[in-house]
Amino acid sequence: MLRFIGRRLALLPLVIVGVTALLFALLQFLSPEMRAALYVRDPRQLASLEAVIQKYHLRDPMPVQYWTWLKQLAHGDLGYSETAKMPVSDAIRAFFPATVELAVASFIPMMFFGIWLGTLSAVRKDKWADHISRFIAITGYSLPTFVLGLLLLMIFYGRLKMFPPGRYSLDVDLLVHSPAFHSYTGFLLLDSLMNLRLDVFWDVSKHLVLPALTLIYFEVALLLRITRSSMLEELGKDYVRTARAKGLRERLVVIKHARKNAMIPVVTLSSILFTTLLGGVVITETVFDYPGIGRWGVNAAQQLDIPGVLGSALLSAILFVFANMISDILYAFVDPRIRIQ
Amino acid sequence: MNERLLAIAKKLRKKPMSLLGLGLILFFGLAAALAPVLAPPPPNARDAYIIPQEGYSPDPVRPSAKHWFGTTEQQYDLYYGMIWGTRTAFKVALSVVLVSLLIGIVVGSLSGFYGGWVDEVLMRFTDVVLAFPDIVLAVVIVAVLGPGLFKVMISVTLVSWPQYARLLRGDVLAIKEREFVLAARALGASDTRILSLHILPNCIYPLLVLASLSMGRIVITAAALSFLGLGAPLGYADWGQLISLSRNWILGSSGNAFEYWHTVFIPGFTIFLFVLGWNLLGDALRDILDPRQK
Amino acid sequence: MKLFRPVLCLSLAGLGARPAVAEVKNPDTYTYATISDADSVDPAWPYDVASHVLILNIYEPLFTYSGASIQKLLPLIAARVPSRANGLISADGRTYTIPIRKGVLFHDGTPMTPEDVRYSLMRFMLFDRDAGPSPLLLQPLLGYPTTRDDSGRLKPNAYKDAARAVEVRGNNVILRLPAPFSPLPTILAMWAPVVSKRWAIQNGDWDGTEATLPKFNNFKKESTPFFERANGTGPFMLERWDRKNKEAVLLRNDRYWRKPAALKRVIIRAVPEFGTRKLMLEAGDADNITADWDNLGQLQNLPGVEIIKDLSSIEENPVAFFTFHVNAAGNPYIGSGKLDGNGIPPDFFSDKDVRKGFAYAFDYQGYIQGTFRGHGTQGTGCIPKGLLGHNPGQKTYAYDLALAREHFKKAWGGRVWENGFEFSLLYNSGNTPRENFCQILKRQVESLNPKFKIDVRVVEWPTFLDGMDHSRLPIFILGWEADYPDPHDFAFPLMHSKGNYPVDQKYSNPEADRLVEAALAETNPEKRKALYYKLQALEFEDALHIVPIDRLMYRAQRTWVKGWTHNPIFPDSPWGAYYYPIHKSE
Repeated sequence: MLRFIGRRLALLPLVIVGVTALLFALLQFLSPEMRAALYVRDPRQLASLEAVIQKYHLRDPMPVQYWTWLKQLAHGDLGYSETAKMPVSDAIRAFFPATVELAVASFIPMMFFGIWLGTLSAVRKDKWADHISRFIAITGYSLPTFVLGLLLLMIFYGRLKMFPPGRYSLDVDLLVHSPAFHSYTGFLLLDSLMNLRLDVFWDVSKHLVLPALTLIYFEVALLLRITRSSMLEELGKDYVRTARAKGLRERLVVIKHARKNAMIPVVTLSSILFTTLLGGVVITETVFDYPGIGRWGVNAAQQLDIPGVLGSALLSAILFVFANMISDILYAFVDPRIRIQ
Repeated sequence: MNERLLAIAKKLRKKPMSLLGLGLILFFGLAAALAPVLAPPPPNARDAYIIPQEGYSPDPVRPSAKHWFGTTEQQYDLYYGMIWGTRTAFKVALSVVLVSLLIGIVVGSLSGFYGGWVDEVLMRFTDVVLAFPDIVLAVVIVAVLGPGLFKVMISVTLVSWPQYARLLRGDVLAIKEREFVLAARALGASDTRILSLHILPNCIYPLLVLASLSMGRIVITAAALSFLGLGAPLGYADWGQLISLSRNWILGSSGNAFEYWHTVFIPGFTIFLFVLGWNLLGDALRDILDPRQK
Repeated sequence: MKLFRPVLCLSLAGLGARPAVAEVKNPDTYTYATISDADSVDPAWPYDVASHVLILNIYEPLFTYSGASIQKLLPLIAARVPSRANGLISADGRTYTIPIRKGVLFHDGTPMTPEDVRYSLMRFMLFDRDAGPSPLLLQPLLGYPTTRDDSGRLKPNAYKDAARAVEVRGNNVILRLPAPFSPLPTILAMWAPVVSKRWAIQNGDWDGTEATLPKFNNFKKESTPFFERANGTGPFMLERWDRKNKEAVLLRNDRYWRKPAALKRVIIRAVPEFGTRKLMLEAGDADNITADWDNLGQLQNLPGVEIIKDLSSIEENPVAFFTFHVNAAGNPYIGSGKLDGNGIPPDFFSDKDVRKGFAYAFDYQGYIQGTFRGHGTQGTGCIPKGLLGHNPGQKTYAYDLALAREHFKKAWGGRVWENGFEFSLLYNSGNTPRENFCQILKRQVESLNPKFKIDVRVVEWPTFLDGMDHSRLPIFILGWEADYPDPHDFAFPLMHSKGNYPVDQKYSNPEADRLVEAALAETNPEKRKALYYKLQALEFEDALHIVPIDRLMYRAQRTWVKGWTHNPIFPDSPWGAYYYPIHKSE
């Protein structure tokens, strides 16, 4: 086990350098003027373009700029993100907890429904339950997220006034920033409990409902499909037939034995899914005005905020390695053959 | 190989869901092929993919005899856009999937066949690609290469091939120790011959399943990228662009929530059918090709 | 779900039956949902409207505008507005004596003194960050627009010149100009508000001496305490600038030298997605939002929301500039680079007939109808409506395809018509008026002759800026918003050979230069007007750019918002506002 973890962690520097070096290589093709556009937004400032280029060393050759960045990284300095208007490390600390909360709030129901419906579909293959659940899943899967998001917002915020956009309401906003509230972890759901403020907890949860629903509906199809096909595979195997022949109860057969073995591809997919969620989901964040990492990363890329882009790419790389690590650990639990190796 | 394909076709014909999927895809294929007939481009048009505009009024117009599907905001004819958008959808989906498949097959087969440090290097490279944030990559590529649907699709291709590579590698690893391969080797066949004639034909089918499922997803990705301002330019016949244009009308006009819903519903429902078709086909293919399922 | 959706929604429509307009939501808090976040709240830094709105609510400049007027000034930090009539401006126009108001406190309770005013003006000028607003004051007070020489070093006499230009005598601040500059009071009504010298020093900012200036000249935005904290004299304090949620929270200043504001809090939040903003306005969670003409259809007839239309704005936006001499090196936008039907030669637009051809081919009324729903009038020249010097009677180009054809046939000795041309027309994304402009221009010009080909391309701002800076764009579409409401602020950047745009266009007309300079120095308004009329006549003849519209705007706000007046020069108007007079009641 430790060897696994060690191997995966050794991957970390390689992936970080790989991803960031590739990005720098791409950015090589952008002229200094384009990169200066980050600081010169208004035509009234055009006269100072050259001065801005000089100030931010945008004419230095790319390898030099990359080396400087790496050196700063070694000192824990990720630079300043223009689009976030704060140092990159502060930006990550500001946006990441919100993203984590949304990711967890989406992931758990997603897994539950995906696996449950997938199992249901597999067990009742080609019957109505199968068709209906697959149909529902495909509708979510074939609808672009912003359409779904705006629809949900219109119904549940516009008409029913139940779930507003943003991360918290006005009153909670003022409360959370007042001296009466202590921010212990940065994760509002945790902090609200630690501050014994159930009203804050409730408010933050309410704001998570719609974005989470959007994400869940969109991804459940994938989980359903993988679970279903994997379960079908397992249910066709000899040991299942044997168990059935022996007279074991169907539920026992399905749940205890087949499903556990069918989980391997599900684990792969879910680790990819969770990483994607953690990496930020820009469209959902934009529609619901949710301050997450996705929105920041894409904004940084659009405005060529290079420290910002690198910072978010770095985060993405790290998340990827950890997700792989965790899925390897989960494999070991799910598949005894791997444990033995 | 031919007998296998025939057997697949026969089995497909027997399943009702697959027939539905096939039917949908054929329907779209026909629309794409007949685009110049179904929606003739205006004379003098330099590029048939640019949707004709009737005036510049900012509010959409509901379907009428003049515009069968109505118009979008700024008066793009939705019918024209949808028909030619079928061509765009196929072009985009096919090119992304085919190129990803190709790269994936090359990387996966080399990796699985030769093993050792070749495998190690290729798989680490695959890891780096997988770790790359894909939307950021799309934005940067557009900044470097300039805007355009196909430039953006290049970036989608660049991050899509790893799934094929990994899948193929696993299967190649499993098959290469089988008897018929060892036999071919004993007979003195070259590596390339073994790979292409013996190993690949046996491993390729799961990739085809995956590919068919991805076809639909690409269109959704294109729509998402259009929403972010990447992708096809305004007025280009692309479903993703058209549905992105409808974003303000999802909430409806004041007074009547469904005033301009045709701008959302028509592209939305079409995308749904397209995705459904490929999904059903992919599911059917998998049900048939997977030797372990009945 | 698609098949079920209409049914689902119909039943929910019944559920959501709207009540009669409810009571005021959050009666003492005003929320404005806009598109972009501020850049910095340091008065010496920003050049964007989002920052400027905050600054003018937190800090106060010497003067301010009276209500909706852009001509009449009222004293704010100053006790009186100087003029020739009251003797506070000297006869030669070079000395201003400004008495300073007494009894004004900063947010931290310390008194504001004339020394603070001096410090603020000098800081605004000498911090002079690249692409910042400092030249607005540097040019009139010191006579040159930058404190640094060509190699980027601080000029040795910059401090001394500034120290000499701004002096404190008793309770007055004396300004000494190298030459008369009549727009100066109006500049001082928008820029260089008063900051607290003591607070600055306490928090590590500049101490006002020459010795420490080099550390702060061309400073880094986030390095000063003024970046995200404020201590001003204005009716609101900066409670918090939350860059994570992209919102600024202002809190009422109860120590304000006038009666404190009615609102307790003002929240300005950046919500980029229009649909979300609209829903917030509908729900009453936002009291007004940023919205343009293409969104109007969705904001009309919303219960509790009023639309105030036909609000003037002081800007020329969009304007299409012709580049007289395009840089051909590595230029992907000019095709073959020759007049052979597959490109354009680099000096294509230096031929007046080409320019006039384009100007006559544009469908002005169609553009105004389609993009602005008819709200606006065709532009008559570089001076926008509402400013002195605007000439409503000036002859303009009208949409006349026959005339356009005539000019194209004459252009380049007939070769344009014979061989045709092809080039790329770029606009930066996220801007519907510019997009429509390009589409219309393309279609109309192309309709004249099948050999005329224009590729319209949307690019992100960095690509656009890159193309512009290298003079690669044959035509570029931008705009100009007023720094201060004086015609010079438009005449210079659009017509003078050293102005912002002519420099990029490589346009130079000595007569235009002469007129701009003369009009600046002229103090008699009638004579000034005559000079600007002449300038715009010249502009018409030269056809160096196309000014399609003097646009009007609209404001969508909740009916419970009271006390808002429209002043077109206020930053981000008509959406952002001066919140002091505003209150919420039904």
